[in-house]
Amino acid sequence: MRQLRRDASTSRGAKAPRFGRHDGSVWGKLARTSVGAGAMIQFLQSLVDGLMIGSAYALLALGFTLIFGVLRRLNLAYGSSILVGAFAGAAVFAQWKLGGWAVAAATLAAAVVAGIYVERLCFWAMRKGAAIASMVSSFAVWMQLEELLALLFPERTLSFPALVERSVFVLGPFQFRTEYVAMFALAALLMAGLEWTMRATRFGLAVRAVTEHPEAARAMGVPVARIAFWAFVVASAIGGAAAYLMAAAEEQVTLHSGMQLTFTGLVAMMIGGIGSLRGAVLGGLMLGVVETLAQAHLGGSGREFAAFGLLFLLLVLRPGGLLAQDFAARDAAALRRV
Amino acid sequence: MDDYLLSVLANIGMFSFLALSAYLLLLTGEISFGQQAFFAIGAYASGVATALWGLPFVLALVIGAVAGGAAAGIVGLLTLRTRGLYFAMATLAFAELVRLGLQQWIYVRAIGGEPVGPNGVDGFRGIRYVFEHSIAQREFLAIIAGLLALVLAAFAIAERGRLGSLLRLVGADPLLAETQGVNVKAVKVAAAAGAGAIAAVGGCLFAHLNTYIEPRNFDIMLGVHSLAYGLIGGLGTAFGPILGVLIDVGLLESVRVFQGYRMIVFGGLVALLLVFMPRGILDEVRVRWLAAPWRRRRGSMARHARA
Amino acid sequence: MLEIADIVTAYGKIEALKGVSLKVEPGKITCLLGPNGAGKTTLMMTVAGILKPRRGSVRFEGRELASAAPRRIVESGIALVPENRLVFPNMTVAENLAAGAFTRSDSAGIAEDIARVYARFPRLQERSSQAAGTLSGGEQQMLAVARALMVRPKLLLMDEPSVGLAPLVVEEIFRIIRDLNRDGTTIFLVEQNAHMALQVAHYFYLLELGKVTFSGAPGQIAEDEVIQRAYLGSKK
Repeated sequence: MRQLRRDASTSRGAKAPRFGRHDGSVWGKLARTSVGAGAMIQFLQSLVDGLMIGSAYALLALGFTLIFGVLRRLNLAYGSSILVGAFAGAAVFAQWKLGGWAVAAATLAAAVVAGIYVERLCFWAMRKGAAIASMVSSFAVWMQLEELLALLFPERTLSFPALVERSVFVLGPFQFRTEYVAMFALAALLMAGLEWTMRATRFGLAVRAVTEHPEAARAMGVPVARIAFWAFVVASAIGGAAAYLMAAAEEQVTLHSGMQLTFTGLVAMMIGGIGSLRGAVLGGLMLGVVETLAQAHLGGSGREFAAFGLLFLLLVLRPGGLLAQDFAARDAAALRRV
Repeated sequence: MDDYLLSVLANIGMFSFLALSAYLLLLTGEISFGQQAFFAIGAYASGVATALWGLPFVLALVIGAVAGGAAAGIVGLLTLRTRGLYFAMATLAFAELVRLGLQQWIYVRAIGGEPVGPNGVDGFRGIRYVFEHSIAQREFLAIIAGLLALVLAAFAIAERGRLGSLLRLVGADPLLAETQGVNVKAVKVAAAAGAGAIAAVGGCLFAHLNTYIEPRNFDIMLGVHSLAYGLIGGLGTAFGPILGVLIDVGLLESVRVFQGYRMIVFGGLVALLLVFMPRGILDEVRVRWLAAPWRRRRGSMARHARA
Repeated sequence: MLEIADIVTAYGKIEALKGVSLKVEPGKITCLLGPNGAGKTTLMMTVAGILKPRRGSVRFEGRELASAAPRRIVESGIALVPENRLVFPNMTVAENLAAGAFTRSDSAGIAEDIARVYARFPRLQERSSQAAGTLSGGEQQMLAVARALMVRPKLLLMDEPSVGLAPLVVEEIFRIIRDLNRDGTTIFLVEQNAHMALQVAHYFYLLELGKVTFSGAPGQIAEDEVIQRAYLGSKK
């Protein structure tokens, strides 16, 4: 539970009624139903925390979206394949007591290797079949990988080296945990890097062309299968980075995270709108905020409830997601061919 | 028949309901990862009916089926506009919401001195109908088999007649179906409700055989499995999903050799199988080929009859 | 330049092309006419390498390309302007052109060609940082042509360039086709709009139900009869 630092000055109290005037807004309601400025500060604190964890979620969503954009198929083995990475990192830490860079490298490398395994077996080998066959195949491999990890690591939970030393610094009435700030900073860096890759490199151009129109891209001579492979590699690396950042923040990895990673990425992608990289980032951040707020006000299971509730509501009201583009019609058609 | 074999058969039977539930939706062109929600609703509803309200089993079964069917129908209505992948995610989200909701639901009463009823995360103990009425495992298995046979018979009749083609048409080309005068929306909602009811029946059986259920039983894994059964066993016939269940539960669960490696083997097998048979083992083409000799005989009999 | 012999292309069990043979002479505009469903787009896609034929041969400048990958076909000097334009809607005009030049690695040459293409299509230069999806139909068609030109093709395949465009715009597109040909590009054109096509073609073929049923130069046969058969199929 967070300790609220109540600011002695009354100017903070004077601010609360101003928010109260925005009748319909969440801020207004919150300001009126909770007591004074303390609750507003708690809300903003949750917002900040949510954005930080949301940055890692955004990376997961980006990985999912990359794969979906290029292949038009969902990779259900995504979470467990990057979990393989995290466990490899933890194993490196346990065996050889190496720190930061070695663990990060091991995590990314293992995540990429696992990702390649999934890509070859579940997607490339089935490129001529229906999309759903790939999905089910990736689900099968998800279970494979989880069991493999359970066999290799019967302890089920391993400790993971932290990225930065755990401490808290205070800025005004708000508290910032350094491990989460580091997460946010690195995630932002990665996202910027990905954006640059997409806009400024030939590879990025090819990925976008294949995502927008695979047939036209093929007609231009773009090697679609090879681009899909490398997009998968990039997605696995990004996912591995996300797993690393989250494991470093928690200072541990657990087997159960596999499912959580997959569905967090999936839900975040769907909130933001399938196929849009910007939407993935937005979805990840939004999910982080919603989850953190729900946890603060509704407790542990409230978090999951809020995430799935938000997703269900969005899918009923806006079937294409918030920033969904033309993909909706094309995806629906692609997945119809059961 | 020893007890272990009986329990394996019982599991095959109960999960077949789930598999058929997902299959029915697949026929109408919808992928659902969430049928376990209705399995759960059927389990809890019927459990409450017998353990807390003292109702007879048959009535509890009906209550469960109605609850599952109604819930599924409502979800079907809500998601009419949601297509393809988004629909799949919506069903998944709904199923998780149900599971999380059950984690919070507490409805416990003292029955015969003991606390009985859904108790949130701790589950629902004391669904002791089977013991109170001295129904042996073998007899319960017969009940499962009987109900499953009924459902399969219904599918067989539907697939032979217009209903089967209607469902498949809605699944393959809803636009064409509309132009033929089919109310696609009604068909989809009806199919969703039917699928929910079927899953709920399975859930009722599950609850009463195990006497204890908890929200953890009804997680996403169960849902994706039910979908996988149809896709592995084949979508050409209602026996396809059953085949899928047989392969997973029957073959691998019972072969103790695979104990620690079951998922690795099964997962690998499924992935490989789908490479060579992307539409499952008993897909439409193979089923038609298998059924050909029967059809030819029927055709020639008809010709004789006309002569 | 391009010799197509006995091409059979099928979708599953359905044969869309039942043994098509035709020739495209270098430096000329050859046109393929025919009613809807005749298989014109299927033939284009087969030549471009997007579809693989069951049987038959496609020889370009003597080289066999029937089952080659699209990349090799593009590198041999054949570029496709697809039916319905198929521009990349969320990418800018400039990015679409860059995508067209994907198979090339000489950045100096690519820059030269972009300049050349902008000179030919000044409207595209005006809109070079606009998203391609926001362009008008005619501008998208120009972009599709420009994109194909980025590989310096010897043979340009054009699939129904007039579809969905207003008559004035169609005239402009056909003017561009004539200009391109005059500058040395061989053009193989598939068209529904037989009237316009016959005004630019040096030679034409009529495709009906997957087979070539007629060929000749415009003027060899009365235009209205050709148009009738192109739109409605032969009188049976």
